[in-house]
Amino acid sequence: MTKLKLSGVSKAYGATLALRRGDLALDTGEVHVLIGANGSGKSTLCKIVAGSVRPDAGEVLLDGNAVTVSGPRAAQALGIGIFYQELSLADHRSVAENICLPDLPRKNGLFVDREALAEKASRYIALFETVAGGSLHATATVGELRADQRQLVEIMKALATEAPILIFDEPTSALDRAQVDRFFEILRDLKSEGRSIVFISHRMDEIFAIGDRVTVIRDGETVGTEAIAHTSPEAVIRMMVGEQEVLAAPQAAPPPLQASSDVALAVENLTGVGFRDVGFSVRRGEILGLGGLHGQGQSALLKALFGAPPARAGQVMLNGQPLRTESPRAAIAHGIAYVSGDRGRDGVISGRPILENVIPIHALRNRLVLARPRSLSEKALPALKALNTKFAGLSHSIGSLSGGNQQKIVIARWLIDKPDILLLDDPTKGIDLSAKADLFVLIRRLAEEGLAILLYSSEDAELLNNADRILVFNGGAVSRELSGAERTRYNLYQAAYEAA
Amino acid sequence: MTSVSSPTRQDNGSFRALLGRFPFLPALLILVVLLVLNGIFEPNSLSFRSLTGLVRTYLALMLLAVAQTYVVYAADIDLSVGAIASLVNVTIIVLMQHMGGGGLSVLAALGVGVLVGLACGLVNGFVVAALRLQAIVATFATSIFFTGLALVILPVAGMPAPTVFWRTYGGTFFGIPFVFYVAAALAILLYLLARTRLATQLLAVGDGQQAAFQSGLPVTAIRIGGYALCGVFAALAAFCITGDTASGDPLVGAKMTLFSVAAVVLGGSALSGGFGTVAGSVIAALIIGLINSLVFFAGTPSHWQNFVQGLAILAALMVGVLVSRRGRT
Repeated sequence: MTKLKLSGVSKAYGATLALRRGDLALDTGEVHVLIGANGSGKSTLCKIVAGSVRPDAGEVLLDGNAVTVSGPRAAQALGIGIFYQELSLADHRSVAENICLPDLPRKNGLFVDREALAEKASRYIALFETVAGGSLHATATVGELRADQRQLVEIMKALATEAPILIFDEPTSALDRAQVDRFFEILRDLKSEGRSIVFISHRMDEIFAIGDRVTVIRDGETVGTEAIAHTSPEAVIRMMVGEQEVLAAPQAAPPPLQASSDVALAVENLTGVGFRDVGFSVRRGEILGLGGLHGQGQSALLKALFGAPPARAGQVMLNGQPLRTESPRAAIAHGIAYVSGDRGRDGVISGRPILENVIPIHALRNRLVLARPRSLSEKALPALKALNTKFAGLSHSIGSLSGGNQQKIVIARWLIDKPDILLLDDPTKGIDLSAKADLFVLIRRLAEEGLAILLYSSEDAELLNNADRILVFNGGAVSRELSGAERTRYNLYQAAYEAA
Repeated sequence: MTSVSSPTRQDNGSFRALLGRFPFLPALLILVVLLVLNGIFEPNSLSFRSLTGLVRTYLALMLLAVAQTYVVYAADIDLSVGAIASLVNVTIIVLMQHMGGGGLSVLAALGVGVLVGLACGLVNGFVVAALRLQAIVATFATSIFFTGLALVILPVAGMPAPTVFWRTYGGTFFGIPFVFYVAAALAILLYLLARTRLATQLLAVGDGQQAAFQSGLPVTAIRIGGYALCGVFAALAAFCITGDTASGDPLVGAKMTLFSVAAVVLGGSALSGGFGTVAGSVIAALIIGLINSLVFFAGTPSHWQNFVQGLAILAALMVGVLVSRRGRT
């Protein structure tokens, strides 16, 4: 019996279409897996069901009746509970308060019923007692818990809604094996109670261990639904990739590297927060791609190479010399450049003129004390021209430029004094398509000029089209290296979705 | 190596836990130091009489700091608390005067005063939470608006309060000064309020508005509730101001607004919301009072008093921040 049915649901944020056409039919008493690549619209779909995002179009049917989920409260009233991927916890409140936050037990109308609160919370904490670790107790402050414990609290909070429909948006990403097993036991119990569960995970083994049916979303559109018993991981990946892509020829072979090109950066057993035992080498003129799902350690690795914060263990050799980057300042001095996709936070100096946005690295590397606009302009202009940056004048505020041009300014900053290594951390985030194409032409040219480039992109197509080799990250480690003809979407997904 | 370092880490951990449970500990420490310093400079300042005077004068600031704390819980701010207190002050003075100044008229005026404070709080809550204006600017604007109303009601300072009112406030019953009864009642009220759903919900909103919304909390209503509570406490503060000064003044509260913000921070609450205690704010209001009296007792020349007072408050803030930071890392 169909409990919840979504048809033709769509949602746009400004010009970006997060969900083009979402369809989902959720039965009573099933675990329904939702799967799709980075940014395919799974989370948007879940948030629409949970009421925290309003759809632009489409229909939601609950028990056969059309409903409007006007907000999270309305969703709760309709019997829908959700686990948010980014968690919805209050860090300074206790575990018990967080579990019961959506509906604090009341006494005499105004007051919190402390006993009922403790009693209710302890029931859900007890579910995970054996695997949660001793520091997770009712009165512990959520902000002091480990990442996996916080995730368990969010699970308990979703369970505490006792809703007939439960949505879990990547609930297992920080959990260990035993915690996942316990969670699955609970899911099976819920299923036998007749509850309907939507489950999102990127781990193929988990999907096949717990799911009854799987719905695949690709580029914001529902591709299809299959019974888990009648499909295989390979078939699911095929659906995620699309038939044309599977049959398509591998990407063009990388331009041959000059025989003389030598290794610019070699990394061995590098371990830090979010990644472990990473090893690779990049030659001059090469673009090395870092791929895989979001947050598998790619950004953390790039930041560590830039010294923000430095890696905990391992070896980095720059041009054959051992290198310790204790801080971004030291990394810059050694000729390492870092461009973040989060321009607002890590790149642009907002509200300041374009010139001031181009020269800080030059000023630092040359220890400039006085900023003489004329001589600095002479340095800045060639760098900007090389990038085809469109701007009215160096004195104009950087805010007057489009996202793509702002990012070019940030890259130009590094090119006045040639660096050896360019670290690109999802550099095209939030940039329109033509500007992206421009940027990648530029990145290739920089490589041809002898830079060694590390490129992380959250868009798989960008990696496949632009990287000479791709390291696929999975759970903080490199699970596979794709080079030459292996660089296909199918191989990339397979490596990214394997059990870590 | 580990055997040496682990006990200190444990100490730090328990200190941290203590600070997490009682974030006002640094403020309490400063309070004790200030009391001792006061005693050194002027032994008389620790007499029962002077302490009563201190509480009588600073009870208004304590209440205003409490008022501010509830909005800061939700990561909001209210720059109109002082103006609300002024408005309530002149409203009750004029009402009491009009109704003859008897006991009943005083009670009726106080009732109206609470309603005025509540209404002001609701206005603030509406513009900040429902209209989504920036709290700091919107409440600055409403503060001008409330002050304007106060000036219409009583254009010049000076209308006296009925004798029965200030005699009661300054009086002694069964050997205990009236203000201590008020303080005790306040303590019970704050204890009860800390156990309300609203207090927990305000803190949850302050911890993350988006997360609170996604949890299904009625975020707008909760923030309006915080401002309403703030308005009511600002009205209570106005009663104390009226009792202490025994007269109406349409500008009396203005200078206290930022002191109330300072007290909230000094009391260990986070201006970013989600974390804090009203007890801390009360203690911090007393600290500010003690600093003022210390500056006086230390014999600071009058034209240097503001300078020294400012420095002392800065120093107190610094000590508070340093202690809390040690507790957190």
